[in-house]
Amino acid sequence: MLNLITNEWLKIFKRTGTYVMIGLIIIGVIGMGAIQKIYLDKDKQNDNWKTELSAQVQNDEKSLKGMPKIARSEIQQQIDINKYRIDHNIPPQEKKTMYSFINDSSELITFAGLFTIIIAAGIVASEFGWGTIKLLLIRPIKRSKILLSKYATVILFGVLMTAILFVSSALIGLILFGTGNGSNIHLVYANGHVVEQSMLWYLVKKFLLSSIDVLMLATMAFMISAVFRNSSLAIGISIFLLVMGSNVTLLLSVKFDWAKYILFANTNLMQYVDGSPMIKGMTLGFSITMLFIYFIIFHILAFAVFTKRDVAA
Amino acid sequence: MKPAVELKNVTKVIKGKKIIDNLSFTINEGEVFGFLGPNGAGKTTTIRMIVGLMGISSGEIIICGNSITKNHDQALRNVGGIVENPEMYKFLTGYQNLMQYARMIKGITKEKIDEVVKLVGLTDRIHDKVKTYSLGMRQRLGLAQSLLHDPKVMILDEPTNGLDPAGIREIRDHLRILSKERGMAVIVSSHLLSEMEMMCDRIAIIQKGKLIDVQQVHDFVADDVNKYFIEIDSTNLNSVPNLTNIAFDLHENGIEVEVEKEKVPDVIKHLVENGVRIYGVKAVSKSLEDRFLEVTGKEEVANA
Repeated sequence: MLNLITNEWLKIFKRTGTYVMIGLIIIGVIGMGAIQKIYLDKDKQNDNWKTELSAQVQNDEKSLKGMPKIARSEIQQQIDINKYRIDHNIPPQEKKTMYSFINDSSELITFAGLFTIIIAAGIVASEFGWGTIKLLLIRPIKRSKILLSKYATVILFGVLMTAILFVSSALIGLILFGTGNGSNIHLVYANGHVVEQSMLWYLVKKFLLSSIDVLMLATMAFMISAVFRNSSLAIGISIFLLVMGSNVTLLLSVKFDWAKYILFANTNLMQYVDGSPMIKGMTLGFSITMLFIYFIIFHILAFAVFTKRDVAA
Repeated sequence: MKPAVELKNVTKVIKGKKIIDNLSFTINEGEVFGFLGPNGAGKTTTIRMIVGLMGISSGEIIICGNSITKNHDQALRNVGGIVENPEMYKFLTGYQNLMQYARMIKGITKEKIDEVVKLVGLTDRIHDKVKTYSLGMRQRLGLAQSLLHDPKVMILDEPTNGLDPAGIREIRDHLRILSKERGMAVIVSSHLLSEMEMMCDRIAIIQKGKLIDVQQVHDFVADDVNKYFIEIDSTNLNSVPNLTNIAFDLHENGIEVEVEKEKVPDVIKHLVENGVRIYGVKAVSKSLEDRFLEVTGKEEVANA
């Protein structure tokens, strides 16, 4: 099994495209760092932050009354967090630090996801395209094992891409902004209370949880690739859903309760760490169950078709 | 002779159509077995079923005692092959390609890889990228990958496709060595009939998914030669018909007669006595191609 994964890994890393992907991620991080350094970096910590914050809290409380229900909870959280800052003397981090930069660069996970999807979409389909599938499947190895090794390779690749993003943004953040003055406490809103969290732990958690929709979409792309043997189709559908999926689900969720069964209502597990769920009544357990069901369905489809199919290409 | 591959009543149905119909034959160790048939007869489908790329609708294929459907891994452990063109990873070198396949079966050493590379004559170019290879070199690399695990059964679909005469000769010699010295069973399909004639010990002809005939190449080609070509001065040609009562075909510079061997001197004597000048006499053996067309053509008529 390890040998099979080695094989797949080599096939990915002997192609130049892979290095272009890694380069793009690093360039993306550098670009973001440069823009933040030039336009957003404030050198001085504001001394009057307490009065400014309380003014903001009053402002927010006023506007809260005139708001529709769905928009309210977010503002309410903001008010609570700001009050907590005033009460516990935790100034908001206005100066950019390595941590805040890593936090910002988690937006680029979509990029890492995009590349993982491209690999996932190609890993089975291109063997058919190259014709090498015929030499691959006449070995004394079960087809399911070959497919499993390919999936494992996709996951490893996704992990590598995310790690590259995390490490490069940490390094560039450190070089450009430093580690800040030490008060790197992250405030989150959980179960109606404001809670303090270690920044680093928060960031690791954020990266891991943000990778879940990438994982699910890569799994879906992999399934499409194995079932239809067509990488363009797999890439197209997956990227479309990566970009549009959660927005469409959000719109649907306003009108329909069944929207909570859609994959994308559940992929963002950050909603349970950082705020409140998209649709009332959803819990972490529910989302994990739904993700698990989708995951199993994708794999059953991929394995059933791949192991049974006649190879005529 | 021990059987290496056995096909028992193999049938393949795709979308309600019988592609392969009740095919049964046995391939023994140490023989080169040819697989002959017009395009679309089901040669490639049969080969794909033998190597497990396609499922079998009914019947059974046994390779070295293991059923390909029930004991997939053990059966394929003994099989090496190329199905259609030897498609390789073009972005890898020849050696890296071989390493890919070496990693998939336990116990293939570096020495074994080097030995195989040397056998197919790729030592100089093995560390170049496959995209720089010619078709002939890819064919050799394909042969190399199929030999890595010392298979008992070797399956080659169109092995001489795209090779120059020297390359064809080389492959033929390899196959001879593999079958005669190592006792491998070699299954070859080709549409080049003259090729098959030189390479194979036995030949199976299939048409429309049915087995028409399995014969020794020797019997198949050489059976009852009874045609002779007699070279005659062209000026005498017109007078020949009046001289003999034996059936013959008129050619540009001679005649072709169909007689038994013992009667050949009589025919010559008869011609000479009647003043026909003879420049040469030779036996016309039927080529495999003639036989092939004869056998498959007959079937065509029968079906029509």
